[in-house]
Amino acid sequence: MVSRLQAAAITSILSVVTTLFAASSAMAQTSSSYSAPRAWDGNPDINGIWQAIGTAHWNIQDHAASAGLPELGALGATPPGQGIVVGDEIPYQAWALEKRQENWNNRQSTDPEAKCYLPGVPRATYLPYPFQILQGTNKIMIVYGYAAANRTIHMDKENPESAPLDTWMGRSHGYWDGDTLVVDAQGFNGEAWFDRAGNFASSSLKVTERYTPIGPNAMMYEATLEDPTVFTRPWQISMPLYRRLEANAQVIEYKCVEFSEEMLYGHLYKKDSE
Amino acid sequence: MKLRPTSPQTHWKTGVAVFGIFSVFVLLTLPRLVLAATPHHIHIALSHASEAVKWYEQYMGCEAIEGRGNAVDCGTAEIDFVLGTVQGGSAGSGVDHIGFSVVDLEAKMNEFEKVGVRGSGIRLQRFDDGSLVRDIPGLFKIAFIFDPWGTRIELVQDAETLGFHHIHLNSVDPAATLQWYQEVFGGTPASLKGMLDGLLFDNIWLLASAYTDGRPGMTQGRTIDHIGFEVADLDQLAARMTQLQVEFQQQPVVPENARSSAKRAFILGPDGVRIAIVETGWAGIAEQVIVAAESDLDLELYVPPKTPWGEPDLQGIWTGDAAHGIPLQRPRDIAETETLTADEAAARRERGTLNSIWGYEREWRDTTLGYVKSAPSTQVAMVIDPPDGRLPETTADFKRLVAAAPPRVPPDRAARPEDLGTSVRCITRGPVGLMMPSIYNNGLQIVQSPGYVAMQKEMIHETRVISTEPRVGLGKNIPQWLGDSHGHWEGDTLVVEVRNLNGRTSYLGSSADMKLTQRFTRTGPNTLEYQFTIDDPAVWTEPWTGMFTFVRDDSQYELVEYACHEGNYGMTNSLSGARAIDRREAEAAENNQ
Repeated sequence: MVSRLQAAAITSILSVVTTLFAASSAMAQTSSSYSAPRAWDGNPDINGIWQAIGTAHWNIQDHAASAGLPELGALGATPPGQGIVVGDEIPYQAWALEKRQENWNNRQSTDPEAKCYLPGVPRATYLPYPFQILQGTNKIMIVYGYAAANRTIHMDKENPESAPLDTWMGRSHGYWDGDTLVVDAQGFNGEAWFDRAGNFASSSLKVTERYTPIGPNAMMYEATLEDPTVFTRPWQISMPLYRRLEANAQVIEYKCVEFSEEMLYGHLYKKDSE
Repeated sequence: MKLRPTSPQTHWKTGVAVFGIFSVFVLLTLPRLVLAATPHHIHIALSHASEAVKWYEQYMGCEAIEGRGNAVDCGTAEIDFVLGTVQGGSAGSGVDHIGFSVVDLEAKMNEFEKVGVRGSGIRLQRFDDGSLVRDIPGLFKIAFIFDPWGTRIELVQDAETLGFHHIHLNSVDPAATLQWYQEVFGGTPASLKGMLDGLLFDNIWLLASAYTDGRPGMTQGRTIDHIGFEVADLDQLAARMTQLQVEFQQQPVVPENARSSAKRAFILGPDGVRIAIVETGWAGIAEQVIVAAESDLDLELYVPPKTPWGEPDLQGIWTGDAAHGIPLQRPRDIAETETLTADEAAARRERGTLNSIWGYEREWRDTTLGYVKSAPSTQVAMVIDPPDGRLPETTADFKRLVAAAPPRVPPDRAARPEDLGTSVRCITRGPVGLMMPSIYNNGLQIVQSPGYVAMQKEMIHETRVISTEPRVGLGKNIPQWLGDSHGHWEGDTLVVEVRNLNGRTSYLGSSADMKLTQRFTRTGPNTLEYQFTIDDPAVWTEPWTGMFTFVRDDSQYELVEYACHEGNYGMTNSLSGARAIDRREAEAAENNQ
């Protein structure tokens, strides 16, 4: 039986897909013939430590190499990379495109990552660090090393509850659509960016994520991003996530606050203090 | 393979001790007796005691003692099972483990491996090289397992003594400990195969190994709660004990619901070992549920649920709200009381929140902090070991360090964030402070997957993923603020050893070498008991343990995103305030010139 939530989600996904087909940059949703090992509840077992590979954390769109802060030499440069945006275009409204440019110009000091702020969704997924998925009995928890971020995906709520308050990481509700974990994330505070290139959304962002196993050590991560305040239409990103296979793989604490303090508060330090 | 003792003797045997007939018995406590809230409801549940009886029959070759649902005869020793709250396994306590001897150890361990670790609840302990059995030249083959309740059991292949083999103590001074047992209970000093000094009581060895990791834990409340000795005349022993200056923890008395008219007493032996002394004819206490029926108490056996994949289920949303206000140490003016009255507890919390350093107003507190609606804990103090509820003495070195330490920079003089502490900087409350109840945002969300327990603490937002299976862990050059959490199950208790601490936070002066052990036990559907043991010989002369209870609140409580650093206006304001004071003072100095 399809619940109302599922029906609604499927309808909205279909409408998105239709829109995308219409926009001629269609991407078929992954429906893999691979049959994943099962978790206790018969759904695919996606427990484990995962990580994205690539340069999406620099820029989710196609990008050539570019210079960074001169004092860092080549270490500060942005490496080139192929984007994860389906069709490569982010359909910004005109004002938002200007804002994105402003973000880019000031990125060294205004990127929330530079300040060690929570990464938001989907940025948390493709930061260049491992994260761990725990499939509990009625919640799925994703634990990230960066900034001690985490997400709770409520699998036990028939109707998504609206977020009690806007947050960096939003509020996530999930369900299984065949072998795909579908997560509806909303309730964002609009402060997070998507990458180090200044791509962004507002607090009306809604992210619909799809996690689909495609092999024992890989799954596709696809997300549809809707935000009528910033974009002219919904758009999609798509990339594989890989299982970390090291025997000792684990999420390592990356509490970066102390590395951001001088940038944030340096002007208030007592002179000559150490 | 079914184990048989050398001879099918009864469990009471004649010994060689000064005090005549005695025997040794081991009392294992089982989970767990809880007072339920509904009056006049009696729930009789003997399933666990009988499970334990079955387990020791099936795997250790013991025999159920007729007429007693809760005891087995293991040849030379009797094991009693009593329902009670268990705070973890025996390893590391004053009685580290008990030993059984089998004819063919490899076959026995193969049997265990085949049964499967999860299926039977048996945990196998591997040696460093991954093997299960070790052959000690000149001694015999040995192996270690844990029973489903967390009792550590050594299996040996000692053809001379089959069946129940030994009791192995942890001791800071093994020679002195053995001498103490000999003076009090007799026993024959002997050497096991010329390799291990011990006392021989009939066919049972009492062995003691040097415990070099501080002080062993108190046995009371662990799976091996106490060991017992039988004497012919308890009054005669009492006289001797007075000479030896050994005090009774509990005077000789015939307990209520005893199965015979024989007396029983308790003493506290060396290294935190609780010892029962019973008179000949002692036949145990009737099942506690029967006590409940007779005294018209409402007792219900609580068995924590399991996850669908078979591990104890700690999942849910818990809060430390009820525990907020419990002082760490027992106040000196509350010497005797075990618990406060509800009124006293409410008054304590009132004082704690209104007079907190933050100076919150009553109106704000009552409208903002949901926990004021919940009943405060009546626990007198967190520290449960040492038993007087007071922290142990600090070391002389530590006292010197404290005396020589520079004064703390007051917040309005902070030169940099470092002067304000890691909590104000939104980095961490530290591995100990993290769990402590505070005035608000006390949520603890637990999500489990097979082999892992994730614990998310609300304040500052910090999540630890604790592995419950042995793993390599982080190398020594990767220290972390919260350390690296290595967990395992001892029965239904999650025991977490925190390693790789970076030592950059301190709890009451704790050092970088602090050894932190945490224990999480569900004691009821809505209560999660949390114990933390700090062993830090550089700071405290003894390890100490604190305890409080998290309360489950899935229906009303939800952790909010505590984006602490992101909204840390306090940092900007404190520093700019301090700089304003600097400027004012500089101006004043200039004007005075």
